[in-house]
Amino acid sequence: MPGGMAMAYVFEFTWILQYAPVLLKGIAVTIALTAVGAGAGLALATLCAWIRTQGPRWLRVPVVAYVELIRNTPFLIQLFFIFFGLPSAGLRLGEMQAAMLAMVVNLGAYGAEIIRAGIEATPRGQVEAGLSLAMSRLQVFRHVVLGPAMRRIWPALSSQVVIVMLGSSVVSQIAAEDLTFAANFIQSRNFRSFEVYFVVILLYLALAVILRQALRLAGERLFSRGRAQ
Amino acid sequence: MYNRRLAGALVAALAFCGLVSPASAEALDTILGAGTIKIAVPQDFPPFGTVGPDLQPRGYDIDVARLIGDKLGVKVEIVPVTSANRIPYLQTNRVDLVISSLGRNAEREKVIDFSEAYAPFFNGVFGPADAAVNGPDDLAGKTVGVTRGAVEDLELTKIAPASATIRRYEDNNGTISAFLSGQVELVATGNVVAAAILERNPPKRPESKFLIKNSPCYVGLNKNEPKLLARVNAILAEAKSSGALNAIAKKWLGADLPKDL
Amino acid sequence: MIEFSTWDILRNLLLAARWTVLLSAVAFLGGGLAGLLVLVMRTARRPLPRRFALGFIELFQGTPLLMQLFLAFFALSLVGINMPPWLAAGLALVLWTAAFLAEIWRGCVEAIPRGQWEASASLGMGYLEQMRHVILPQALRIAVPPTVGFSVQVVKGTALTSIIGFVELSKAGTMITNATFQPFTVYALVALLYFVLCWPLSVASRFLERRLNAPHRHH
Repeated sequence: MPGGMAMAYVFEFTWILQYAPVLLKGIAVTIALTAVGAGAGLALATLCAWIRTQGPRWLRVPVVAYVELIRNTPFLIQLFFIFFGLPSAGLRLGEMQAAMLAMVVNLGAYGAEIIRAGIEATPRGQVEAGLSLAMSRLQVFRHVVLGPAMRRIWPALSSQVVIVMLGSSVVSQIAAEDLTFAANFIQSRNFRSFEVYFVVILLYLALAVILRQALRLAGERLFSRGRAQ
Repeated sequence: MYNRRLAGALVAALAFCGLVSPASAEALDTILGAGTIKIAVPQDFPPFGTVGPDLQPRGYDIDVARLIGDKLGVKVEIVPVTSANRIPYLQTNRVDLVISSLGRNAEREKVIDFSEAYAPFFNGVFGPADAAVNGPDDLAGKTVGVTRGAVEDLELTKIAPASATIRRYEDNNGTISAFLSGQVELVATGNVVAAAILERNPPKRPESKFLIKNSPCYVGLNKNEPKLLARVNAILAEAKSSGALNAIAKKWLGADLPKDL
Repeated sequence: MIEFSTWDILRNLLLAARWTVLLSAVAFLGGGLAGLLVLVMRTARRPLPRRFALGFIELFQGTPLLMQLFLAFFALSLVGINMPPWLAAGLALVLWTAAFLAEIWRGCVEAIPRGQWEASASLGMGYLEQMRHVILPQALRIAVPPTVGFSVQVVKGTALTSIIGFVELSKAGTMITNATFQPFTVYALVALLYFVLCWPLSVASRFLERRLNAPHRHH
């Protein structure tokens, strides 16, 4: 910063100490949302990918519709629809439930496409080999198809989880008290918007780097045994 | 690898921040020289600032903005803002004044200056007729929606009991939607805001529960602008004595200005 | 006080959707050009531009677009240029788009076999010549489908400019919700309009994927 010059605006960071609890709570909420969104979202994604590739035909149309709808509308609007719109249809979810639902639904749709691509790259011979060992289709899916598919697409899936974590910043719009909410709350009290946003953007950067590393390690742990193919 | 990337990102972030070096000149001279004053107004806060079907801003704050522009003899450029970005707009010289039903507190006074009061603002807690709430203590265990950073947010935060849950929304659109969709049982807002909602015959009626306090609104402007501050205060004082401000109050609030404003 | 007919709702949403389209176009075209620059730096042989590009990508891919908009929107005008809001919003979106496109395209460049680099180097070509005549024409073929696919993210990304007060489709939606008390209908309509904008792009991306990459399938 070019100090000493006649600056109309003086940067000030002493507020960090005062508002540390608010920031820490925001970080905790962002992490909690991401954990739930990633866990349940990947389960939903796997289910959808299974339906699209090998599941019952009558279920494929609704799954395709769900995936297309979510992938082609903004997360913010999905969130508003769930939080503000659904109560008039009789379903009222609190801000944390609505935020979690939106994240699960979102990652479910994106993850389904990624996992499907991984499944479709499975060589046919492996499936046939599995079936010839008298495994059921579901067993083949679980033991022969899914494992190598997940290993193949884990990097893409990890990126998507990071994208969903960063995308969760808009849940502050429905008063869920995540890290972005913390930033907006603090700046509404002390009007130090630049400093607050600057600090919070660095916190997000750190979270993204840590999350990516954690997912990489998890991937190595989960899929390292025997490099198939 | 990751450390180097992170370091690179930090450098880029700092470079980004290093761009920040504000221009400075006496704001009043700049305004008079340009023949235009830019004023930030609300667009989701009836009757202070709202939009018609043409999406143009209208309301108490907009009329006050035009009044100040007229008296300065310059053109008024109306800039619609939200409560989250109104102060950054001011600090980045994107606007010269903020007339956006702004409340003052000590923490804020460190960052910007405030004029004399230009509008009364009676804020209170509102809710459905059957909600048994008569004072701050009755909020215990209840959920109240409020617009983050608004006058009533600052007041409610002070008086609400610890067991009350305060839900803070980005803007009044969010707060009102949260109340109407039943996401919060009660809202804290201005009496005129609640009246404006009632007038439109909403599905849920925000009836008055109790008044928090009368905390008037002030015009916000950047620090170290003594000439502009003095002119704005002079214009407001004259508008109060000439009845011009009272006319605006009658038009939008349906009542005379309180004597002590 | 103010009455909105259903036609008023749809008309205002459509009018606001123009801004969504314009902002998306600016972000995508600007982001494409800037992304190309970042790509060249990212794949350069010298470490300095490479490190800068890495940092740039990390910063914009590792932080929320919403935060970038908050910071850019207010910080940029401090430089002294009076930037209209749509330009500031556009600029933040351009940088964000550039970071993602550069990474997408890097993947495509790296998919070109090393032998191509070696062969063109043996012909005495410099880095930029290799890029222009050998690598990019081939990489382009693989790059088109994911690039079109990413344009969907750009359109959706413009929704966030509503939070900093820019009146486009999403903001018009929240404003109209408040005037009409019909969040279910209004947000459903908003979602539908986004879907109408985005879905053809998604379909086009998949179609191109099949068309352009079919010859590569057998490897």
